[in-house]
Amino acid sequence: MSNDQSRRAFLKRSAALGLAGTAAPFVTQLAAIGEAAAATADDYRALVCVFLYGGNDYANTLPPYDQASYNQYYAARPNIALARSALDATLLNPTNSLGGRQYALAPTMAPLLPIFNAGKMAVLLNVGTLVQPTTKAQYTARSVKLPPKLFSHNDQQSYWQASSPEGATSGWGGRLGDLFQSGNGSATLTCVNATGNAVYLTGKTAIQYSVSTNGPIALLNNSTSLYGSTTAMSTLRNLMGGSNANIFANEHARVSKRALDTYAQVTAALGGAPAANFPLFPTGNGLADQLKVVARLISISQTLGAKRQVFFVSLGGFDMHDFLVRDHPTQTALLANAMRAFYDTTVQLGVSDKVTTFTASDFGRTLQSNDDGSDHGWGSMHFVMGGAVAGQKIYGTPPAIGNNTPDDVGQGRLLPTTSVDQYAATLATWFGVGASDMATVLPNIGNYNPSGRNIGFV
Amino acid sequence: MVAVTVGARKITRGPGGQIDVADQGAIERLEDRLTIDGGCERIGSPSLSTVGVAASLAPLLALAACSADGTGQTGGPATANSPSSSNISAVQASRFLAQTTFGATKATIAEVQSQGFDGWLTAQFGLARETTHWDWLVANGYNATANINNDTGFDPVMWRQMIVARDQLRQRVGIALLEILAIGIGGVQVNWRQFAMAAYVDVLMDNAFGNFRTILDKITTNAAMASFVTFLDNRKANSATGSVPDENYARELMQLYTIGPSQLNMDGTPRLSAGVPIETYTQDDVTGLARVFTGLTLANSDSSKPDRYRLPLVMNASTNETGASSFLGTGTSGGGFGAIKVALDTIFAHANMPPFISKQLIQRLVTSNPSPAYVARVASAFADNGSGVRGDMKAVIRAILLDSEARADASLATMSAGKLREPVMRLTGWARAFRATFIGNTALGDTSSNSTRLAQSMGRSPTVFNFFRPGYAPPNTAIASGGLVAPEFQITSELSVVAYINFMQGLISNGTSDLKADYADMLALANDSTALLDDINLVLAAGQLSSATLAAIKAAIDSISASATNGSTNRVYTAILLTMASPDYLILK
Repeated sequence: MSNDQSRRAFLKRSAALGLAGTAAPFVTQLAAIGEAAAATADDYRALVCVFLYGGNDYANTLPPYDQASYNQYYAARPNIALARSALDATLLNPTNSLGGRQYALAPTMAPLLPIFNAGKMAVLLNVGTLVQPTTKAQYTARSVKLPPKLFSHNDQQSYWQASSPEGATSGWGGRLGDLFQSGNGSATLTCVNATGNAVYLTGKTAIQYSVSTNGPIALLNNSTSLYGSTTAMSTLRNLMGGSNANIFANEHARVSKRALDTYAQVTAALGGAPAANFPLFPTGNGLADQLKVVARLISISQTLGAKRQVFFVSLGGFDMHDFLVRDHPTQTALLANAMRAFYDTTVQLGVSDKVTTFTASDFGRTLQSNDDGSDHGWGSMHFVMGGAVAGQKIYGTPPAIGNNTPDDVGQGRLLPTTSVDQYAATLATWFGVGASDMATVLPNIGNYNPSGRNIGFV
Repeated sequence: MVAVTVGARKITRGPGGQIDVADQGAIERLEDRLTIDGGCERIGSPSLSTVGVAASLAPLLALAACSADGTGQTGGPATANSPSSSNISAVQASRFLAQTTFGATKATIAEVQSQGFDGWLTAQFGLARETTHWDWLVANGYNATANINNDTGFDPVMWRQMIVARDQLRQRVGIALLEILAIGIGGVQVNWRQFAMAAYVDVLMDNAFGNFRTILDKITTNAAMASFVTFLDNRKANSATGSVPDENYARELMQLYTIGPSQLNMDGTPRLSAGVPIETYTQDDVTGLARVFTGLTLANSDSSKPDRYRLPLVMNASTNETGASSFLGTGTSGGGFGAIKVALDTIFAHANMPPFISKQLIQRLVTSNPSPAYVARVASAFADNGSGVRGDMKAVIRAILLDSEARADASLATMSAGKLREPVMRLTGWARAFRATFIGNTALGDTSSNSTRLAQSMGRSPTVFNFFRPGYAPPNTAIASGGLVAPEFQITSELSVVAYINFMQGLISNGTSDLKADYADMLALANDSTALLDDINLVLAAGQLSSATLAAIKAAIDSISASATNGSTNRVYTAILLTMASPDYLILK
């Protein structure tokens, strides 16, 4: 069992460090060790998935800037378009040519511009869920397999995370965990979720571990007694985590046991990376809170014996059927500020080239407005950030703008030209997955030309 | 049924203990109800019934439904007409109440044993609401202008009604509907949102025993729904700006609230074509239907008070699409409420409606994995209540709760039986079992936090998807590989399981500033850990704690001396918390 593995490995490491029987507080010792040693193993790698729940409006996230394109964008959504003059300051100057096409970041995403300009952030155009490469003619004729339940939030969230709709039993982040958890001292902490339950991080054997923005939660403040009785407290722990003949009760007990068993280890390790040492993260930003605990965990990953970790964080509120002009700047500002703080922190920790962060979302939205918002779409624009990223580039094919273009499947919904599989395979390759294992992580990757399975952005 | 005529007045006493007094065409119903604390009271104004009634009839009108012997009569006419005492055990009654209320109590267990399952349902169907959520907010002063842009009052009214209201079945079904026809106050973007959301919950409560087609009408013209699912003032297409109608409600109405995205058999299983699910609607259907849900707007422009939020939306002709719209193989033109009627009639007639809604209601009330045969039986009742009516909620509720799969003890033992109790209902179960009283208005508040509270709060779903999905199976578990679903596990994590215990531990011993339990009955048993546990096991856990669990909890209780300082109370708290922490309790079979 992975839990036992982690405890044994942990105790083994503690003994090797000669801590048994010493008088000094364990956490202090750990912290001292942490300072002396490298924060992470030399070949450490972490992937961080930033999921934007609700379907992020691509057109106002990466608005077109060259005059011809901007005019088309504006004509398609005059009620909700950004003013071109507001885009001057965030115009992107990639090192690759888009044949005259230009894009800007949404004005509120200005904090990410320096990272792009430093070559550490890449932009991905028109990424979305596909089963196989799909042309508009094929889509219209339904002559190829398409992801089921396009435009449905829950199904497309699942498809992004798992390559299959709602009901999926594993996600590709978890399937990465399957391949690498045996190399981690603590298999339990291979796939770490700092937000709500998501299929992304569960694999065939790897199990998602949930952590709050303050780390694990202590049971009753770690008290050794309950209502005055130590027997009652130990009974509580035993009841919570004890196996049970009923299949549902047993699963509840498994989750509880995992919580109780890993609490001490993770809390002790996090003690070596107190939140106060991570001052770059803004307050009042839930995504920043999540990325802060991720940064703390990355900084003590070697303490936990982790070499490969996949993290999942999220920001909601993107389903902007209305009030888009008011709300989209707010959400993209939260996103950009949190991502910037996270990148800068990884640089400070000296691990920026070991951590790659990427955005994901249910889908993009329509280009046309519904008067004050946009509706469910498909392809969207995404961002990849990290020291290993081949940045200051815009990857993919700039979609035509407007109705009835080859890229439009109705109201300016984009037919993706890069699939989530290709996006994920590129990240997985960097993470260490070989070509022969890729299909276990991404079952549909075989539908793509081998030369197209690594986009090259990292 | 006892009937007595006195002059022009006819008095009948029904099998559920209710008294009907008919006088020249006016009928008045009186109910004798067991109160939450085991007392008895009559509900209904006595104006017709007691004025001028002969003394000899007084026994008939006595508070007899609450009599200790459960016969429903104290003296008076022959007991042959009294509600038959059933063969229902206390444990069976408690299990029934776990499915039909927000928590069993000694008093309601006795009620069910007295009236029988069907009799209890009938009695509950006959109960008028004591208050609407809206009226409670007004009566408690939440319409003060200070609350015009906050949600103050919403959590209090939700908690109070779930815990204290006597029409428990209506509350439970209304909340089940809220979890299916899900919206949440956080996304209601009008002022007075506590009132707007209260009005929405009232629609569900008021119609919980009515017809589902009526529910569809009323949610479609409800202000909170229109705000949350963004069709308030939805505009018809504008060729100058290229804007087209907002598709949100058209999609979510079909996907989540009525027919679902894939075709179903009556037993809830998916219909397949060459092994692949068959979609019920396409994107074109969504776009076509979106044209119908345009033009709906608030009843008036007075934002200074909440009143307009409980008035049905009206049609603004200038933004309503009056051209032709086609969807789901049919079409309509002319717009307005006529087009909406065609749309809702078409959806309501769809073959998916009975199984899609019935299965989810079963999941909310009874079990996460009903057998296909059980789903089919309930869906049939939805499709036709026996008198040719489709969508009769009472028929559906009876079919769900009286089915052998819900009632028979044999179903306790099947592998797939049961459901993880919703966290909110664990709390209400505690509050009701131990007669928690609200001194002021509850400080329970929003319990959505998964790190400090319950990971769930009624009326606060963050999206239209509720806190958990009906088809959720926790990945990489025996549940999933067994082909089972467990919706409530979607809010279960290493955080929530600990947060729940932390929160309940404090509530059990201290309550909140204005919600306190009454443990007098428990304290009387504190010296006898077996008796204490038996009582708690019956009321909280429907007798489902295993002998091993009982033994472990008993040993923990007995480790605390009753004569120590606070010994008795600590023994009681320990018994309750350990019960509520045990997986035997957490999974309701």
